[in-house]
Amino acid sequence: MSASLVFKIARREYLARVKSRAFVLMTVFVPAFLGMYLLAVPLLGRPSRTDLRLAVVDGGTGLGAAVGERLRAIEHPRITIAETSSIEAVDAASRARFNASIRDRTLDGYLLLEPADATPARVRYFAREGGNPALLRELRLAVQSAAIGRLLAGTGVDSGAVRQAQQLDLGVVAVSDRGERAGGFGIALASTMSLAMLLYIAVLINGQGMATAIVEEKSSRLIEVILGAVTASEFMAGKIIGVVGSGLTQLAIWMLVAIVALVQAAPALAMSTAVSGFDLSSVLNARLLFYFGVFFSLGYVLYSVLFAVVAVTCTSTEELGQSMMAAILPMVVALMVAISVISNPATTATRVLSLIPLLTPLVMMARVNILMPPLWEVWLGIALLAAASAASAWVAAKIFRYALLMTGKRPTLPELIRVVKA
Amino acid sequence: MTTPALLCRQLTKTFDGTRALDGLELSVEPGTIFGLLGPNGSGKTTTIRTSLGIYKPDGGSVQLLGSSDPLAVRRQTGYLPEERGLYARMKLHEQLAFLASIRGLSTAESARRASAWLDRVGLGARAESLTRELSKGNQQKVQFAAAVIHDPELVVLDEPFSGLDPINSRLLKDLVLEQRTKGTTVILSTHRMEEVEALCESICLVYHGRAILSGRLRDIKAKYGRNTIAVEHGGGPGMLNQIRGVQACDDGGREVRLRLEPDSDPRTVMRAVLDRVDVSSMRLDEPRIEDIYLETVSAAEPRP
Repeated sequence: MSASLVFKIARREYLARVKSRAFVLMTVFVPAFLGMYLLAVPLLGRPSRTDLRLAVVDGGTGLGAAVGERLRAIEHPRITIAETSSIEAVDAASRARFNASIRDRTLDGYLLLEPADATPARVRYFAREGGNPALLRELRLAVQSAAIGRLLAGTGVDSGAVRQAQQLDLGVVAVSDRGERAGGFGIALASTMSLAMLLYIAVLINGQGMATAIVEEKSSRLIEVILGAVTASEFMAGKIIGVVGSGLTQLAIWMLVAIVALVQAAPALAMSTAVSGFDLSSVLNARLLFYFGVFFSLGYVLYSVLFAVVAVTCTSTEELGQSMMAAILPMVVALMVAISVISNPATTATRVLSLIPLLTPLVMMARVNILMPPLWEVWLGIALLAAASAASAWVAAKIFRYALLMTGKRPTLPELIRVVKA
Repeated sequence: MTTPALLCRQLTKTFDGTRALDGLELSVEPGTIFGLLGPNGSGKTTTIRTSLGIYKPDGGSVQLLGSSDPLAVRRQTGYLPEERGLYARMKLHEQLAFLASIRGLSTAESARRASAWLDRVGLGARAESLTRELSKGNQQKVQFAAAVIHDPELVVLDEPFSGLDPINSRLLKDLVLEQRTKGTTVILSTHRMEEVEALCESICLVYHGRAILSGRLRDIKAKYGRNTIAVEHGGGPGMLNQIRGVQACDDGGREVRLRLEPDSDPRTVMRAVLDRVDVSSMRLDEPRIEDIYLETVSAAEPRP
């Protein structure tokens, strides 16, 4: 194999990828999109309204006034109690008046309290916008607090202290050999998803670009000229190296953008992290970035080879479109497994799955991110991944030699297996 | 006896149970223009690909420029495939330079030669155009340039003239002759017999994966002798193919060619022709390569 020929093929492929419109667009849009996502998530979690006009409707629990008083004490969103009224029966007819108020917008919503057998009350919130979890949590706390206040009345226990006890928050800190790290499911999910997305998008754009180029070379018979000059293995090696180069270029640009953004946009980030209680340094640290670099590069090579093999067995771009799923599917599966790993990072199933090369980049990455596995497991995963990349490149080279010059008809699977065995 | 530029011995190649090459024998003298002829599907392209090392033969041997491994001499060979293709979204100059560089030229030398060749084929002003913006004929000229840009010792041109207008066709013909003058061996695969007639010194006629006729054109024609009467006539009642001593009659419209039976006397036949039609010109001629082609192929046709 001639290194200089491989280099020349790689350089052409690299330039063709990097100059393509898809590459330029995605290189710009992905960081912009991820940045907006990071900024927007905390904001999206807040109630859309800062002032709410509510009514408390008591169907016979006697808690109405106490609930109203506690709602008024909520700081965010600020709640105005329009009225506190009692009704005899909680049927539709007696609620009609309140529903009408919601419709003509004199009310944002009302809380309906009904007597219940086992619990102090059955509570329903009627509103135009009923979905915000932060508001619902406040409403539930207010009713709980009112109910407990009544139970404790006359016992001498301070209901204010009880209410504070109720507002306890559960913090999660991951403890590993390396120390402690704050953050739990949410942060792990967000950072794993972000890393997965970067890998996914980079492979998709560059791999697909290469696949299209290979099909173009096959269908235009340019491949005959090229194969008169270089061997199939040199050709494939050049292709893969070119595509890996363009992927790493893209990654380098993204990393650079991330660093610049962190420095330049620190105030904005500080604001958004303050809102969400989200500590960016818990997401971006040197160890994580190192492993991300390793898994990104190796995973990228493996998936690129997959794209190349799919492409070389196709004879037209239409066929390529249909077959591309075969190359994309392992990544989708890996992503799904990675998400489930976040909740169960140390089960046997997770440990086994993270050692399957096609899943390793995302699943092992998720494990490293959530709960650092023993080092030998991580490096076993890396070694298996590297071996699988090399093996698939070897298989691909054999398939390339056979399938590159086929036109009109696609090679069948048994044919390909025979070729690989030969 | 010089070493042949290409020597194929007993080549066989089978695809999915179909014999594409069936003991093909081929020898190309260096520095000549060699015509590779044969009907569609007879095995010409497979012969070319096997000779250049793109396919490995199932049996037999290939000696290309004295080497038994065609890929070992790939920097000395050039190839213009029949089905044309270039990178559609690559600039002309960039593309030519890339194709030159994978034949082993340095980056600087590739760039210099790419410019020179674009000027040579009249596309110097369009060096920065994308390939897909070019007409088919212009793309073909670029591909020819790509096949010879590295000054190969042997170049294979598969149907180089198809689809070209007379001006470009002439330009390309001159470029092919120029290659021969430089001492390059040219293997020309074509269906256009007038080009074979005009350019080739030797030919090989491939049919069903075998060489059914090969040798110097001059020798082949001499073997047939002056066995043809070419007649231009202004019409008349006569049925020329019914003249005694005429084996076959090929009515080409303006000119009718009568092939004589082996032992018939040309003068007798000519007199008979004069009796039947208003002759404007008549001569005793060698068979054209087209006649030989048709006769050889039809004789080789397996009888049902």
